[in-house]
Amino acid sequence: LAWPYLEGLRLDEANHPLTLLAFGLYGQVLPNQNGAPLRLVVPWKYGFKSAKSIVKIRFTDKLPATSWNVSAPSEYGFFANVNPSVDHPRWSQAKERRIGEGGLFAKKRATLMFNGYEPQVGQLYAGMDLQKFY
Amino acid sequence: MLSMHKKTQVLMHPATKPLFFFICLVPLAWLVYRLAADQLGANPSEALIRSLGIWALRFLCLTLAITPLRYMTKQAAWVRFRRMLGVFTFFYASLHFLSYVGFDQEWLWADIWRDILKRPFILVGTLSLFLMLPLALTSFNRAIKALGGQRWQRLHRLVYGVALLTLLHFFWMRAGKQNFLEVGIYGAVIAVLLLYRLLRRLRQ
Repeated sequence: LAWPYLEGLRLDEANHPLTLLAFGLYGQVLPNQNGAPLRLVVPWKYGFKSAKSIVKIRFTDKLPATSWNVSAPSEYGFFANVNPSVDHPRWSQAKERRIGEGGLFAKKRATLMFNGYEPQVGQLYAGMDLQKFY
Repeated sequence: MLSMHKKTQVLMHPATKPLFFFICLVPLAWLVYRLAADQLGANPSEALIRSLGIWALRFLCLTLAITPLRYMTKQAAWVRFRRMLGVFTFFYASLHFLSYVGFDQEWLWADIWRDILKRPFILVGTLSLFLMLPLALTSFNRAIKALGGQRWQRLHRLVYGVALLTLLHFFWMRAGKQNFLEVGIYGAVIAVLLLYRLLRRLRQ
């Protein structure tokens, strides 16, 4: 993966109240491994969109390049919204196992559209073909 | 140093086989213990599936090591352990498969079918296990007698195919994260064990 790591959001995504710039975790200062001193948290997208240890933020007039999209464009799109009905080319993304939920016999659960935030963020993507803009 | 004769006596001792049997069960016992003691990390089912797979691969390497060992030490007695190692390879591979089916896929056969088609490394691993099945089923003395030594041996050369498929399974599984160190190590071990046979054959 090319260094430095690049991520991007559309302005309406970045301005959404669910999008956070986090300095802390569970009431403590953010640990290094979680992306200190400052990280992005975008809860309705796959984890790689929530970039860690941010050093620079720019506003651009064009869609910015993002690391995973540059590295494997057929596998990782710019949007990367959690979407159980669109598989990653090499695996299904329809189900998830939540870590810490009952150990060995923990049941997997169905992954929800936009990670369960569809009522809050669904309208951002109204009319978009999410098969195409994955 | 023990004399050749003494070494043969140690290998042929009636206690070695039962002892060896229990040693082969130690990895499983250790996994079950760590599972019960909640020492398998945050995602125990994944840790269990992967450990069982690695142990199946290790037993496969050990099984394939018997023949070279036997020629290099000029001790035919090593063959006494080959069948047990082979059957333990199948045992650990079956547990690996069953834990994938049970813990990862929760016995949902439609999902498993989709997963096999979606992820080629799952298909290759499954194929490898099914190739082992006829070997495990013909591993007892009566089967060897019924098939005849030569036919039995020809059938059991399938193990070379199993080794290559298993390596491909492991390689593809690690390819997702470009993590090839361990794949290289096991690949080198298996390559040496197979090349030894090839070179020996060519020299004859």
